Amino acid sequence: MPRYVVERSFPGGLAIPGGAEGARACLTVVERNTDEGVTWVHSYVSDDGQKTFCIYDAPSPEAIRKTASRNELPVDRITQVRVLDPYFYAQEIAVRAR
Amino acid sequence: MVVPAVSASAAAELLEREEELVALEDAFAATRRGEGRLVFVSGDAGIGKSALLRAFCSRQEDAARILVGSCDSLRTPRPLGPFADIGARVDGSLGAAIAAGMATPKVFDALVQELRSAEKPTVVVLEDVHLADEATLDIVGLLGRRAVQLGVLVVATYRTDELPRAHPLRIVLGDLATIAGVLRIHLDPLSPAAVATLAAPQGLDAEDLHAKTAGNPFFVTEVLASGNVDVPATVRDAVLARTARLDDTARGLLDAVAVVPQLTELWLVEAIAGDVLGALDECLDSGVLRAEERGVAFRHELARLTVEESIDPHRRVLLHRAVLAALRRPASGRLDLARLAHHAEAAGDIAAVLELAPRAGEQAAAVGAHREAAAQYARALRYADGLSMVERAGLLERRAFECYLAGQGREGLPDLEEAIACYRAMGDRQKEGACLCLLASRRWCESEMTAAAAAIDEAIAVLEPLGGSPELARAYSAASSFAMNEEKVEAALAWGERALELIDEADTEALVYQLNTSGSAELLQARPEGRDRVERSIELAEAAGLEVDVGRGFLQLAWIAARTRDFEWAGRLAEGIEYCTQHGLELWRLYLLAYRARMELDRGRWEDAADSLSVILGPSTEQPLVRILALTVLATVRTRRGDPESAPLLEEALSLAAGVDDLQHRAPVAIARTEAAAYAGRSDLAAAASDDVLALALERGAVWVSGELAFWRWRAGIVEACPAGIAEPFAVHLSGDWRAAAARWQELGCPYEAALAHADADDPDRLQEALDQLGQLGAATAAATVTRRLRDRGVRGPRPSTRRNPAGLTSRQVEVLQLVADGLRNAEIAERLVLSQRTVEHHVAAILDKLGARTRAEASAEAVRLGLSDPS
Repeated sequence: MPRYVVERSFPGGLAIPGGAEGARACLTVVERNTDEGVTWVHSYVSDDGQKTFCIYDAPSPEAIRKTASRNELPVDRITQVRVLDPYFYAQEIAVRAR
Repeated sequence: MVVPAVSASAAAELLEREEELVALEDAFAATRRGEGRLVFVSGDAGIGKSALLRAFCSRQEDAARILVGSCDSLRTPRPLGPFADIGARVDGSLGAAIAAGMATPKVFDALVQELRSAEKPTVVVLEDVHLADEATLDIVGLLGRRAVQLGVLVVATYRTDELPRAHPLRIVLGDLATIAGVLRIHLDPLSPAAVATLAAPQGLDAEDLHAKTAGNPFFVTEVLASGNVDVPATVRDAVLARTARLDDTARGLLDAVAVVPQLTELWLVEAIAGDVLGALDECLDSGVLRAEERGVAFRHELARLTVEESIDPHRRVLLHRAVLAALRRPASGRLDLARLAHHAEAAGDIAAVLELAPRAGEQAAAVGAHREAAAQYARALRYADGLSMVERAGLLERRAFECYLAGQGREGLPDLEEAIACYRAMGDRQKEGACLCLLASRRWCESEMTAAAAAIDEAIAVLEPLGGSPELARAYSAASSFAMNEEKVEAALAWGERALELIDEADTEALVYQLNTSGSAELLQARPEGRDRVERSIELAEAAGLEVDVGRGFLQLAWIAARTRDFEWAGRLAEGIEYCTQHGLELWRLYLLAYRARMELDRGRWEDAADSLSVILGPSTEQPLVRILALTVLATVRTRRGDPESAPLLEEALSLAAGVDDLQHRAPVAIARTEAAAYAGRSDLAAAASDDVLALALERGAVWVSGELAFWRWRAGIVEACPAGIAEPFAVHLSGDWRAAAARWQELGCPYEAALAHADADDPDRLQEALDQLGQLGAATAAATVTRRLRDRGVRGPRPSTRRNPAGLTSRQVEVLQLVADGLRNAEIAERLVLSQRTVEHHVAAILDKLGARTRAEASAEAVRLGLSDPS
């Protein structure tokens, strides 16, 4: 399944309450995602809470948009990405050096 | 005589299935509240689907009425087999409807009536739907779409290990994926722990057992029942080890039961194996066979296949012969032609195959099981060496026709060619011409346009010397339809007149077809009387029960409505989709969904468009044009939203359109690619994508296609004169009059184009408005451009007025400059042009900038030099 970075803006800042309420909010999102086969892997949030970079596995960009609107989350931009792991190359170099 | 199942196998079959049982019970509970469900239970062979259902049904026996139907593993299944099973068990009209060979919608009505008749809630179990015939799958689809309202629990099982990519069941599953009330339960293999529990009493090596059986419950059970100390390497060895422990009479009986797929009725057992009740008890006691309501069956189909393969070939033929003879005198008195044909072939009885297979084909065709009908005719053709040429040609023609109806038209082409050769050899010119005409139509359907045109020319050449005939009328009609599809409107109408002269009013089918073609041709020329003709063809077709022609009528109207942005027609589209769904016109339904998606895109409902497309773009949609339409709309949605992965869709669409020369295939691809090139600012790519298609569209007078292409070429930065004779809103837009264009687009109901027109304004208020409109549409790509323009005013995207005016001034700026040169002040200019004073200030600043002038006086002098103003 393709992987995507979804960029979102929260002009008022993103506020997820701590404790049980926050956990519930996140789980609701996760649950709604499953309807479209979308998996929220994790997110990076800017310090001021105004911008998030969310990593998703999803069948299509449309599936991401659909779950976003169900979860009332904004979408600025969707980019398809692949993993680049610097240590993977480091290991390869180590093997070659041997 | 019903023997309780052997405890070891029952235990293995139900281990680790509690969750699944609960899911089924939840579904049943919903049904009892009046909300029906369709549950698909899937898993590999031997995973325990039937066992799960047996356990579920035995728990609900008192609370529910349970109706079971199985699809059979005859090489060519009985049409509507599972519903025939159910019909035989109940009193209502269902059995009669199937026996009478009624069409699928009628059978479905009878089934619904039956399901609603009971006082207790009903559970319908359909086993092995991966083996189902086409008509059965149609009904499963209908059951799924209405699952909730029907208030019935339907459970259908299928094997995942026998479901290749293009399997027809996948279409049904894909279609039902998003329907409420349709659930799926997938059965996984047993865990190592579960296998260990089972292995313990016999002291078997649990790890070895799990590894060799991969946790397959059937395999595990067979190993346990074989009593071996070592685990056999294959499931086949395990089954044979188990049967080897039976005595000779019992093994003989087992062989007889094994040549009959699925269930063997008791009367049939007696007829082929004699009085063997004692042996039967032994087989049941050992758990190899299972007693069913109407007969006996192997505990599992895998075991039956294993035993059948192990029978010595000569003995197998003798057994099939005995079954064939017995089935000719069935206890019910009703011949089961599909079963008879199967055993006739297996018995090597050629005369019987030639007698029974064509009859089985006719029966299957009558209920709409076209794939099965084609297979029965093919079966007869394998043994047709001894037949006369007429008989052979007849079979070939029928097989080709059923292939076509089953959506496998290409497979039928060689048959048609062979039939034509037969008729030519016999000197039957009339039939040769008629067959050539058919071949032409089929080739057309397979997108082989050149070959189709050659075949229709040949057909007309063969038929014309024989004088006016229905066959010649059909050939003219086909020529007319080909021309219409290529949008050669004049030729289409001319051939159509010739056809209509010959068509007898009583030949509704021919009349309906030609009315449809001629009407569509007229609509392509924007002649409104064309609509009346197409509507009349739909009316006549509906009255005469010509379902395919009704579908074709809706298809043409949808095509032209989408092409000409005639959105008023949308209500009728829903009606067409419903009609095609009800009558199993799957391909036509997909076309209508694709055109609907196009219209949704044009009406600014992009999310709806994407939803329609997910249905069409399932793995099973092979028809090139449907895919092209769907791929291009989805790519355009992605491009406009700024989403990734539109390029691969466009590449696939381009490759599907390769080698086809009509606008229907090529225009959507060219338009979508030119639009994408426009956003990328690549005039070179826009030209490459659209040069020849634009020329073709202009030649054919396809004003909307040429308009849209010219529009995106302009936005991509191609500098050229606006072509004459393009659709009016595009012409207005290209003339640079954004205000009139925006109004025209709004009136038409195309918000995206309207927003793009607003975005051509210079006034920041207008730009902000355009930005809001684009934001509402989710048009991130165009919105980014407008945002940029708002940010650095004065720097603007290419617009035709900019290019046509000297010094890169827009037409509005030229107006302002002329007034400046006339000596007017900003406030006066604002009043004259009905603009805000601030906007005028922006314009003046931009004008000075572009002209390289420092003052208004310098700008006025420059205006005179450019010939924009008279020297004062």
